Amino acid sequence: MSDPMTVLVTGASGFVGAEVTARLTAAGHTVLTLLHRNGDLVRNNGRKLTPGPGALTRITGDITRPGLGLSEDDRRLVRTADRIVHCAAVTDFGLPAERYESINVAGTRHVLSLALLDRTPLVHVSTAYVCGERDGTAREDDLDVGQRPGNGYEKSKLAAETLVRKAAADGLPVTVVRPSIVTGAHRTGRVRDHKTIYPVLRVLTRGLVRTVPGRYDAVLDLVPVDRVADLVTAAAGRFEDAEGHTLHAVGHELTLRDVSDVLAEYPSFQVPRFVPPSAFRATALPDRERPYYDRVISLYDTYFRRRVHFDATRAAAFGHPPAPTGARPYLRRLLDHCLTTGYLGPDPRQDPAAARPDGSTHR
Amino acid sequence: MILTEDQLQDLLEKSLTELPHGTEWAVTLEGSIAEGFGNPSSDIDFLLVGRTEDDLPTMPSLLFVDGRRVEIRTRSVGRLAAQFRELEKDAARPGRLSEDLLNRCQRLLHSHPLRGHALVEEVKAMLPLERFRRIAADWWAHRARQALRHATALLCLGESDEAVDWARAGLVQTVKSWAAGLGETYLEPKWLSLQLDRAGRPDVRDRYWRLQAATPAPGDADAAREHLTACLDFAEDLDLTGVPRRPEPLTVERVRGVTTWQTGDRVHVVRGRREVFVLGDDAGAVWRSLVLGRPLPRVLAAAAGTGVAEPGPLLAAFLRYGLVRLAWKGGGTVSPALPLAAPSGPVTPPPSTAQPLLSVRGAAVGGPRAVDLLPLPADRFAAAAMALVWSNVVVENAVEDLTGALQRGQWRVAELTARRAVHAALRGLFSAHGVHPLPADSDLVRRLDLLPPATRPATARARELLPRTVGSAQEGDALLADLRSCVLLVRGAAGADSFPLSFESADTWRATLQLGYDWLRLGSHLDAELPIEEARDLLASNGAQPHQAR
Repeated sequence: MSDPMTVLVTGASGFVGAEVTARLTAAGHTVLTLLHRNGDLVRNNGRKLTPGPGALTRITGDITRPGLGLSEDDRRLVRTADRIVHCAAVTDFGLPAERYESINVAGTRHVLSLALLDRTPLVHVSTAYVCGERDGTAREDDLDVGQRPGNGYEKSKLAAETLVRKAAADGLPVTVVRPSIVTGAHRTGRVRDHKTIYPVLRVLTRGLVRTVPGRYDAVLDLVPVDRVADLVTAAAGRFEDAEGHTLHAVGHELTLRDVSDVLAEYPSFQVPRFVPPSAFRATALPDRERPYYDRVISLYDTYFRRRVHFDATRAAAFGHPPAPTGARPYLRRLLDHCLTTGYLGPDPRQDPAAARPDGSTHR
Repeated sequence: MILTEDQLQDLLEKSLTELPHGTEWAVTLEGSIAEGFGNPSSDIDFLLVGRTEDDLPTMPSLLFVDGRRVEIRTRSVGRLAAQFRELEKDAARPGRLSEDLLNRCQRLLHSHPLRGHALVEEVKAMLPLERFRRIAADWWAHRARQALRHATALLCLGESDEAVDWARAGLVQTVKSWAAGLGETYLEPKWLSLQLDRAGRPDVRDRYWRLQAATPAPGDADAAREHLTACLDFAEDLDLTGVPRRPEPLTVERVRGVTTWQTGDRVHVVRGRREVFVLGDDAGAVWRSLVLGRPLPRVLAAAAGTGVAEPGPLLAAFLRYGLVRLAWKGGGTVSPALPLAAPSGPVTPPPSTAQPLLSVRGAAVGGPRAVDLLPLPADRFAAAAMALVWSNVVVENAVEDLTGALQRGQWRVAELTARRAVHAALRGLFSAHGVHPLPADSDLVRRLDLLPPATRPATARARELLPRTVGSAQEGDALLADLRSCVLLVRGAAGADSFPLSFESADTWRATLQLGYDWLRLGSHLDAELPIEEARDLLASNGAQPHQAR
């Protein structure tokens, strides 16, 4: 274990942030959690986070404001941090561009300003999907290679990571961790937030949208939240080994054929028909499907086209080997957990307007 | 014993003279006679034990001595030791412990030494009798639980007569477990009455026989429940644990390799990636209501919520066919077996004889509650269905092309296009009847004998059209008219659903394409031989466009 440190964690109430915070305090580090609002920190297992043996100090702030909106006392306090782990981000899809700009881009800029004051080492949580809409292998060293971002979220994360790279060039010690699509715990499939792929699975398995533009060989990379939190925590704890590197926190590669085949194992699930994107017309969808397509599936259909593989050589060298094989069993665990909680399963025929509109996201 | 020591020694002496000499064997008598059972027609089973490194034959020698059938087995000490070790290893998981292994060990431990007593006793001492009693009792108890849980499930599903039979099977296994704990470990239930007589508990014996003799009226669910309850009471009184007092701990679980594929409104269930079951509307609705991992009563309630009457027997059919399995909370899969029978495994019904077998909307089905097995393997089913969709598309395309060629006076082009349409229609007809792979186009007319008589009017018209030539607009119009009528005949023979007139409107065209993509899912899952790339090209490039211009 590394020597006890003080670590500032932004977005500590988030899906990944709460798990990172728990791991850091469990390792004996003192954690300063930068939170936008008060409330309990809840772990992925649904239980309130109990810090320890390291201490946890809450700080109220707002990353969208210069200086993170901190009081003078808190500003002094955060400058005692030995590390900063920047998890805070808006990860929902389909939001206005200003939201991504203010939280993901300006927020990162403000965190970088703080870090640069004392050259505090920074672990920045990005997304593997900064790779944009492209096929083939995305490497950890790749950043802006002229790719086209798949949506406003990806665009903002690319911009934020570009800022981090620039700060690194200016001498700030940084490590970037890029999770893919963050999903339930590896062993149990348990998940705190039904974000990322979950609303998509709900809409598809209930048959609320039956025709989806996509390719059977498109690849979704699902990474268990515990795996991401482990890597982020390790990057903070062994920063000297990770410094200057970008690490892919990726997990299980599932083709749409895998998804289709696994969904077919569940008698109550509808299996969507994937049609070539060139032949798909949203306007031709039945009236009852259209609202669900517009509100959920359309936000995600960029991921049903990409055939991308995330190389994770540097993460492996850092001591984070590739996920064990078993993408299909992992997907089953996610689905089984959702059936247990009732998130998936027979359709209560709710009104489309009442469905989550976000289609939420990976990080 | 029914034979005296002298009689046994005499039989042994005579038997050994018929075997090759060599190894010094210890000999022990196994089986029903050694147990104190048997009758004049019982076999004589001798086990010869030797300190040998030789590889001894597993099969027994069969002799007939003094009118008796004599079986002689030879085993080395090393092999018998290994047998006991294996038994100990498997004892912790009674569900995996083989009956044969248990039986071999039991017969040896309860055998009667005839020669080389010291060696026989040395071998027997490798596993204390008390320990073996526990193993045998646990083994029977495991099987009793399985049968009783299965009976509970069947009763829950409304299959009361089957439940009674399984309760009775559980009853035998329960009392065998109890008797084994008292030292009556002989496996064969044939001698159960003698075992119970010897056990010294007439109260248990008499209660068992009363329950065994009870015959609840067929179809009377209340009587079946009463009988099952009495069997469970008996089992609990004999200290059987894990007795299924309620069906709630029974959960409905996934079976590996079972997948669901719906095309149009038709539900197909693929078992083990090999066999396809097609479900009628009611069966399909009940199947679709299944949420795996949930307790059986909850699953039944959800099935009842579909509005389908008596969903229980449909769920029981899914269970029987191995499309789902039952598990007992904390106790793994419920795998019932009759006493000394292997678990029967999934039943395979006779295949469907429906003709034509399939349409673009799915396989033919015998009725709303049908769970029909298709008579062709899953990958060929998917391939035939896709070929049917594809032929449908090609027919419509070719008719369009023919119309265009006639408008431009391209007579040769028209002839070829008409032939293409006829071949495609025939391919569709073959595919609808499950023929796959298809004969070459040039052979299609020669293979019409593969099709049933009802297709003859359509095939006769097709045969007549193939050699037709066009030399004028008049002949061309006649060809087009005859082709349309031929396609109608094919539609009549194959069923209207097989050829849904895709080009009639943008909606029907789109519906046909969607069915094509539905079949593509199944074909992709099975790695079936499908015209995927070709179909994709057409579906993608022409799919939406012809009708956008209309």
